[in-house]
Amino acid sequence: MKHFWVLLKVSVKSMLLTSTGRDKGKRKRAASGMRMALLMAFLGVYLSGLYSNMLLDVLIPIRMEVLLFIYMGIGALVGGLLYTVFAVKGVVFGGKDNDLLLALPVSSTVLMASRMAAIYLESLIMSFFVLVPAGVICAVRTGMGLNVSFFLRLLLATLLLPLLDTALSVLIGALLAFASARVTRGRNWGQNIFMALFLIVVFYFSFNLQGILNNLALHADSIKEGLRWAMPLVWMADGIMGSWQAVGLFALCCVIPCAVVTAGLGRCYRWAVTAFHARSARSDYKLTGQRSAGQTKALLAKEKRRFFGTPGYLWNAGLGLMLLLVMGVAAIVKREALRELSAVMPALPVAAAAMGFCLSTCIITAPSVSLEGRCFWILREAPLAAERIIGVKIAFQLLLAVPCVLISGGCLAFALSLPLWQGIVLIVTMILFAVGCACFGMLMGLCFPKLDAANETLVIKQSMASVLAMFIPMAALGAAGLLYAFVHMWAAVALVAVLAVACAVVVKQRGAGMLERL
Amino acid sequence: MLRIEHYSKTYPGGKVAVDDLSLEVRPGEIFGFIGHNGAGKTTTLRAVAGVMDFTEGRIVIDGHDIRKEPVAAKRVTAFLPDNPDLYEFMTGIDYLNFIADLYDIPAEERTRLIGYYGDAFEITGNLGSPIGSYSHGMRQKLALISAFIRKPRLLILDEPFVGLDPSAAHVMKGELARLCESGSAVFFSTHVLEVAEKLCDKIAIIRGGKLVTCGPTEELVGDSSLEEVFLELEEDAQ
Repeated sequence: MKHFWVLLKVSVKSMLLTSTGRDKGKRKRAASGMRMALLMAFLGVYLSGLYSNMLLDVLIPIRMEVLLFIYMGIGALVGGLLYTVFAVKGVVFGGKDNDLLLALPVSSTVLMASRMAAIYLESLIMSFFVLVPAGVICAVRTGMGLNVSFFLRLLLATLLLPLLDTALSVLIGALLAFASARVTRGRNWGQNIFMALFLIVVFYFSFNLQGILNNLALHADSIKEGLRWAMPLVWMADGIMGSWQAVGLFALCCVIPCAVVTAGLGRCYRWAVTAFHARSARSDYKLTGQRSAGQTKALLAKEKRRFFGTPGYLWNAGLGLMLLLVMGVAAIVKREALRELSAVMPALPVAAAAMGFCLSTCIITAPSVSLEGRCFWILREAPLAAERIIGVKIAFQLLLAVPCVLISGGCLAFALSLPLWQGIVLIVTMILFAVGCACFGMLMGLCFPKLDAANETLVIKQSMASVLAMFIPMAALGAAGLLYAFVHMWAAVALVAVLAVACAVVVKQRGAGMLERL
Repeated sequence: MLRIEHYSKTYPGGKVAVDDLSLEVRPGEIFGFIGHNGAGKTTTLRAVAGVMDFTEGRIVIDGHDIRKEPVAAKRVTAFLPDNPDLYEFMTGIDYLNFIADLYDIPAEERTRLIGYYGDAFEITGNLGSPIGSYSHGMRQKLALISAFIRKPRLLILDEPFVGLDPSAAHVMKGELARLCESGSAVFFSTHVLEVAEKLCDKIAIIRGGKLVTCGPTEELVGDSSLEEVFLELEEDAQ
């Protein structure tokens, strides 16, 4: 047990250091960790609270509040899976300290358990910020108040659900890792297809949310019956709503799979670590005439290869751009409904807010310095000015973002029948916002670098740079919205322009020095 | 080719890694840099390569001050760290082309050089595979090829023989000699004293960040061996 706690401490420390950036003293680490926790809490409370409220509007009159926890449970489970499944290969099986730890006199099951515990903690974040806000809103809306027994069961469910998530995530992640180790070419396609399917499901539910809610009100009983395939989550929901017996059944459903996966994969951990990296170099390459390119083109090609060749980077940092394109196409398809909507609300700020939200989730520059990692020496010893390295990273994000803004903005302007000048204002403002996001992300990457992270997933998904690069532009967008509502449209546009220019100036003046000091 | 004048490096926290080091590497020389672990060899090599900043002193490569004209200085150098991490998302040939692009090597010349060095290090057939699938030795060979195709005026190598098989080590020694015949210089650190003794025109020994001795290998070694000289100096220092 002592071994387990020591190894767990190492895993958690590695995760925390990656999240909080440069190791410059406990106070700064604690402050960074606190900021990140607050941001996650805000997002979780906002999303879970919003959807719980909408669902309870329908469920309370028919006394089927239990469905809220089934849906939120599914949301937390799927969200947790998405958050962790592709991290499994890196966190559980691909740690850079594997050789060192496997050589220690520690059982491989204990090592496996400590690695899985790190995945459990990640899932716990998702579970906590989805289930707890839903529980609080349910308690308030149903007049339950501060019911100790209810909150105790809610807490138990919140702690147990990530065990099931971890078991599924590690199992699927192990299968994916094994499959990808066997494929020489196009091994990222499986992951990309998986993510694309997930997004299609999310879009389907988003576009049909109103229909689903109406259906829920009419057929609540049969829907619960139809959810038998998700029996553990039905037990979880019944448990939260009052049945201790259901809590017990749910606990068994979570603990047993987790124990089986830990023991099963623990037994073959050494084999798995070797098998998942069993990729041997082919020896059939025939050298033909090579082509030359300039420095900038070479650096851009490198960024492109890394971005499109790392599914975790592509889907986490580029999702906003895909959403922009999907939104543009969807706006054209649903233009009649949108035009009706634009009669009752101002179309320009709504379109700008939607596009700005998508752009703020595009965080390609933020982790790009940290992703250089141990290969950073290559750029440092090359005859390259620091300004060029930074410029190329920003340019790469803009090369992807600006065409998406043009397409999406054009589609939205057409779908909403915006006057020409409003369409131009929309597109120009969003291009300025995209510039601001790219430069601000770069600054965050330089302020919170993590060149020695254990794996890429941690840098992309959990680094302080990525989190701040996403949420601070969202806050700026909110401020621009307030200016639009209470001052004038041009005040909002001016704010976006000033912030973009300010970020660009700071990067130009300070960026090179910051990069050289890393 | 390389002039280091009163170079010092102090890490944040006050630890002095290198203190007032001065030495010169002339064109055509193979210069060995020897010292125990933590003596300051890697710190010096990284500063010369422009990878790490330093506290005091001046480093001049082929007439270019590494601080004032870093890009010009780096254009004529190639650096290979002791454990070269390379971009795993690239194939070997992608990486060589990337480096060739950064150093503006024309297409025909790079094809010829990659072919020549790829065959010499027996790695041409593997160049189409992702670097992530390479063994440690193959990565070392690829990094060496990426250094040789630049035809550097100054080649800086940190423990270059670690991880190389005997055949590749033999090829490398030959290529280092060829490079020096063309007027370039090699500045490298090693723990393998036999190799240093046979290969180097000049040797510098560093201990605790200070230069202990520096001179032509024959003068330094005399009738004994480099190992004996090194151990003797270590005892004197203690």
